[in-house]
Amino acid sequence: MRVSIHEEQEQLTLAQTTRRHFLGDCVAGLGSFWLASQLGGRLASAASVERDPAAPLAPASPHFAPKAKRVIYLHMAGSPSQLDLFEHKPELEKLSGQDCPQSFLAGKRFAFIRGVPKLLGSPFPYAQHGQSGAWLSSLMPNFANVVDDVCFIHSMQTDQFNHGPAQLLVHTGNQNLGYASMGSWATYGLGTENQNLPGFVVLLSGGHFPDAGKSVWGAGFLPSVYQGVQCRSSGDPVLFLSNPPGIDRDLRGKVVQAIADIDRQTYAETGDPETVARVSQYELAYRMQVSATDAMDFAKEPAHIHQLYGTKPGEESLANNCLLARRLIERGVRFVQLFDWGWDSHGTTNDTAINIGFAEKCRVLDRCASALLVDLKQRGLLDDTLVVWSGEFGRTPMRENRGGREMPFIGRDHHPHAFTLWMAGGGVRGGFSYGETDPIGYAPVGEPVQVRDVHATILHLLGMDHQKLIFPYQGLNQKLTGVKSARVIDEILA
Amino acid sequence: MDSTLSMTVLPPKRGREKAVLLLAMALAAGSFSLAIGEEATPAPNGDLPQKVSFNEHIRPIFAKHCVACHGGVKQASGLSFIYRDLATGECDSGNRPIVPGNSKESYLIERITDADLETRMPPSDHGPPLSKRDVELLRRWIDQGAEWELHWSFVAPKPQTVPGVKHDAWPRDPLDNFILAKLESAGLAPAPEADRATWLRRASLDLTGMPPTADEYAAFELDNRPDAYERAADRLFASPHFGERWASMWLDVARYADTQGYEKDNGRDIWPYRDWVIRAFNADMPFDEFTVKQLAGDLLPNATLADRLATAFNRNTQTNTEGGTDDEEYRTVAVLDRVSTVWQTWQGMTFRCTQCHSHPYDPFRHDEFYKFIAFFNTSRDADLNGDEPVLRVPNDDAKWSEAQRLDEQIAKLRQQTTEQTAALATDHAQWTWQKPVSAEVNGDARLVVRDDPSEKVPEVLAKGTVPQGCVFTLKFTAAKATRVTALRIDALPPDLEAALKTPAAGFVLSRLKAHVASPEGADLGEIKFVAAACDEADPLFDVEESMRDNPEGWEQYTRQTYPRWAVFIPEKPVDLPAGGSLRLALHFGLADSGAGALYIQRARFALSESPAWTALVGSQAYHDAKEQLAALLKQRQAIPATAVPVMGEQEPQDARRTYVFTRGNWLDKDREVQPGVPAVMPPLPAGVRADRLAMARWFASKENPLTARVMVNRLWQELFGAGIVETAEDFGTSGELPSHPELLDYLALRFQNEDQWSVKRMLRELVLSATYRQSSVLNAEKIEKDSRNRLLSRGPRTRLTAEMVRDQALVLSGRFSPKMFGQPVMPPQPDGVWRSVYNGAKWKTAKGENRYRRAVYTYWKRTSGYPSMLTFDAPSRDVCVVRRIATNTPLQALVTLNDQAFVELAQGFAERMDAVGGDEHAKIAAGYEQATGHRIEPEKLARLAQLYDEAAAAYEAHADEAKSLAANRERYALCVVANAILNLDEVLTK
Repeated sequence: MRVSIHEEQEQLTLAQTTRRHFLGDCVAGLGSFWLASQLGGRLASAASVERDPAAPLAPASPHFAPKAKRVIYLHMAGSPSQLDLFEHKPELEKLSGQDCPQSFLAGKRFAFIRGVPKLLGSPFPYAQHGQSGAWLSSLMPNFANVVDDVCFIHSMQTDQFNHGPAQLLVHTGNQNLGYASMGSWATYGLGTENQNLPGFVVLLSGGHFPDAGKSVWGAGFLPSVYQGVQCRSSGDPVLFLSNPPGIDRDLRGKVVQAIADIDRQTYAETGDPETVARVSQYELAYRMQVSATDAMDFAKEPAHIHQLYGTKPGEESLANNCLLARRLIERGVRFVQLFDWGWDSHGTTNDTAINIGFAEKCRVLDRCASALLVDLKQRGLLDDTLVVWSGEFGRTPMRENRGGREMPFIGRDHHPHAFTLWMAGGGVRGGFSYGETDPIGYAPVGEPVQVRDVHATILHLLGMDHQKLIFPYQGLNQKLTGVKSARVIDEILA
Repeated sequence: MDSTLSMTVLPPKRGREKAVLLLAMALAAGSFSLAIGEEATPAPNGDLPQKVSFNEHIRPIFAKHCVACHGGVKQASGLSFIYRDLATGECDSGNRPIVPGNSKESYLIERITDADLETRMPPSDHGPPLSKRDVELLRRWIDQGAEWELHWSFVAPKPQTVPGVKHDAWPRDPLDNFILAKLESAGLAPAPEADRATWLRRASLDLTGMPPTADEYAAFELDNRPDAYERAADRLFASPHFGERWASMWLDVARYADTQGYEKDNGRDIWPYRDWVIRAFNADMPFDEFTVKQLAGDLLPNATLADRLATAFNRNTQTNTEGGTDDEEYRTVAVLDRVSTVWQTWQGMTFRCTQCHSHPYDPFRHDEFYKFIAFFNTSRDADLNGDEPVLRVPNDDAKWSEAQRLDEQIAKLRQQTTEQTAALATDHAQWTWQKPVSAEVNGDARLVVRDDPSEKVPEVLAKGTVPQGCVFTLKFTAAKATRVTALRIDALPPDLEAALKTPAAGFVLSRLKAHVASPEGADLGEIKFVAAACDEADPLFDVEESMRDNPEGWEQYTRQTYPRWAVFIPEKPVDLPAGGSLRLALHFGLADSGAGALYIQRARFALSESPAWTALVGSQAYHDAKEQLAALLKQRQAIPATAVPVMGEQEPQDARRTYVFTRGNWLDKDREVQPGVPAVMPPLPAGVRADRLAMARWFASKENPLTARVMVNRLWQELFGAGIVETAEDFGTSGELPSHPELLDYLALRFQNEDQWSVKRMLRELVLSATYRQSSVLNAEKIEKDSRNRLLSRGPRTRLTAEMVRDQALVLSGRFSPKMFGQPVMPPQPDGVWRSVYNGAKWKTAKGENRYRRAVYTYWKRTSGYPSMLTFDAPSRDVCVVRRIATNTPLQALVTLNDQAFVELAQGFAERMDAVGGDEHAKIAAGYEQATGHRIEPEKLARLAQLYDEAAAAYEAHADEAKSLAANRERYALCVVANAILNLDEVLTK
């Protein structure tokens, strides 16, 4: 009964061809559950993406030549203070301790500030760095070495001031639940280069999920195959990746082969192409068991790399995740999403004090984020890898006075009106700062950059027109950038 | 929708040059294209119909070529092809696009046939010109009077004649005639009937979510009575597992979960609602009743406890407990979600599109969305962390009637007492407003005393940063000697008008203290209040808590719309000497989720000398009522119960008003609206109060053109893999047209009339039909002519749902627990999956039978769903989902191969295979047969036997490690084979 590998391959190719025949020749194809016409009713247009359900993550051509082939997004969940890292505001330092003017408070809603708070200058000195002369606070000494590769956007704005909704907005383009995340859109539009790894990987540190939970890497209305796959530092790197105790890889291979052989017979009996697709998914799973384990095992990286990032195998940390992100994109993963929890520096405790817990987290961030850029660059990967860093909103130029009282530690409240996001590599203009805020950093001067503009720009760098990357659902052609007008920020393109 | 549209300014084409014709047109190719359908109309030059139909011929033309710019959202040049009045009236240029009866005068025809490419519609960069046939259709239609028709789904289903068919021996049910007639006209024959085992497995999984047992297969195979299928179906309908399977479907729609959602995603005890749904399906509650109870069970005359529990349907919205969130904002989000959900669920409509503007394709206007919001806007829930209001549902069913009786008595008593005190308190003549001579507060805040400019009533305003835990200290001086019998406090929002639109911050008066002082300032003692009353019969906190030392008390938690009052009554009249003073201390101990103090922003104080108060609190009747209430509450409290969030209506005097949100922004409110249904739908019955109950009955009525169709379509979808309307979530203009429109109407009428809304009867007709009994085997002809089985030229073949994947493995393992109902359970889940912020909840893997309960009982955490179910396409249940899209991924393979939960079920399955006895071939064959219902083919048996040998060899090579899976070589090999069988395509598919 056993067939040779050669024969097996031939059989599989035949089966796949049969399947393609269905898909190619039979209008929408059997089981082609997400061909747009079937999903979205009569809205489907020429621009909607067509995907072969047998290979939903196969690489697909972008709309035009991309500048970036992959994305690493570093999200600091809780939202770090832009005013203590990248926003040099001498005027605010001068006014520190004075009552915040009423003009900044009237008609504004804050999460915790009540009444009249005091202005708060940064306790950290600033200096200019690199040829670009970018201002950085003393919390970012290593970052000083890479600023000429970085493009800052200082005039970011959002309309959500609570973590959950604001994180959803950053990742799905909508503050409500049920929408598809950036990484899902990217893999829906482009597929991924390595079929033996998930196309959209999520890495967590800081001990918690981001506030909005898994919805920030969910597929929303897109087929669930496009949702982010969480890779973990302890336990299975991907859930259920390891064989159960007592079944080794050799035997697992035999099990998968037996399943495939029987399924092929079933296919011969029933003719359902979905069966063929299942066979290939099992074979993929079997290969993923090795490739994902290998990608996540970074202990064997040389000492100087560990030194560069500050990595310690076995723990869950932002540093480890930065290194893992590099390993994953090196292996062809399309979108790597990092979440580091613990940036919500209200000043209620040591951990959330700007000058204590926040400063401590910045030391880790400074080292590993800088290392990531250095490492990508030395491997020639920075040119076509886009790195994005942000929180979900900014922090107030005022010191938080929770419940109307002075707080035990120095902290800042949530601030949707202005924040800083930076990008590097993948077609953005390095050593450049775009947009500015008023002298106390309360609001952008001129037109603010909206989250949807960043989405349009990221998709543009990936070679996609945000107006054309659509998915028909509930009577609408859904887009990452939503229904309000979004623009590619041309000024920051290299 | 999209404001990045190109704008083209054109000169007017006609003599009436009064306006510049401004044509905002859609989209560069591909952007937000509203091109609808592939080729909705056949190629040009076909024969034109005698009578042109708007729905059949004209609407598709408008939908494809015009409404992107001239629709519900964009009405470029003041023109919309959604509404007849706009299409036949003058647009901005003064031209009439359509002049009924006269195509020559119709500007539309002129523009679409314009020889000048610059000005022809649609513009060339937006789409191709209309075909000759389309133009002729439009001409003829206009000349015939340009009659508008409603979109098909807004027109009530029409009685249908059952079509005749050639192969008239095939149909078993009239529904089969509809299917066969269409097959015959496509030149296709139905597939042969599936073998008995296939039908039984399909029907068992579809109806109960579980595969047949070996005995059930055998009994059915041997049953040669003519009604064997009917008997088998009836057995399945009688199974208690029927309700569990159909509840799983409904709980997606109801967005049921065991947590509150959002950041903290704390636990929520709402599982008694899940059990209500299971019971309702098992009892075959008619769907109209099922509808009314879930939407407005609390408002039914003589509502039972179960009726009120049913309303938890709409409390499955999320509650945002994140610090610093605005309760009014998330209350509003929940209300919007309810409207969106009920329209998805009962009407298959994307009504939510109307939140920001009129619907882009369907005739729903912006205001109509808010009129519908008004039905839901007066419910009492307000995004409170405790999900109030809650219904304490007794854990023991036997106690429900007692609890209900107690609830009724308690409510009645409270109502009586409140009416009694309110009658006294609102006798305004007795009250003398008091103006404090001093008013102080701690922190950076200050109190301002003034006379209200309009009413001239003295009042105290709090200004500045009022901290949580603040105390207002007020001193009132008596001009003359006063015998105080009651103190009244009024709490007003700072701006009465503004609060009606967006409520102000509320308050909780945690503690009220009152002292009397002599004219010299000596303390004459504290006033001991013995009773308090307010304007609400069933407040969140008891108003009398303000008389005790705890944070609770008279409240408007957490937002305030209307002025409130409370009265505090001493046992005996208190003498306030002339020149003496009354000193009040008001302590506000609680805060909102943003740590904002909840204090009275604008307070008024009055004293009464009326002896009626003293008489009231001294009366036996008052005393008795209080004692009785306390006793009843104690009795009720003694019944162990689960507090379930339910719907409750605000008292009329507290009822929120509803306003249109400008462009959907809840902070920007425009005109006020009253509850009502969209004009395109049948109206509410005349003379009925337009409330939530009326709305529920309107959905559940036979006059509603959509309710029966949408439900029948959903049942069809669950059985056949796709609905007759494939876009189950969109029966509107942009959704798919029904594959068999006549059949859909036929089934809808049958469901609501003959079947009297019985889900079981409808399903029985479906599973016994010839259509459903077909084999799912494909052949070349079917691949060519019916690739996606939209014509039903074969039986359905679909992957099991996430729940069925688990439940089937449970049954095969022999470890399945049939225990029903109760708290959600936690089967094995890998460590470290739950990591919500600020939430200490832990996954505690169940031991004993709770480890092996059906998937419907698995704990459903919104932000971190049960991983294996999510992998098999279960939604997060953040929002209503009416259709799951099945995917096929490597991660699914990893689940069923490696997940501990499945591995131990494979172990159980192997034990059962082993118990069959005989050699390994016999055991494997038995396992396969149990899993599929079919005798194993020799080739498959040989292949599994080969795997058995390979596994046995592996055991021998690594016995130490292998022992963690099974104790001996034979069991180990069977275990590996069982694991493989649970992963076979034919096992994961029905």
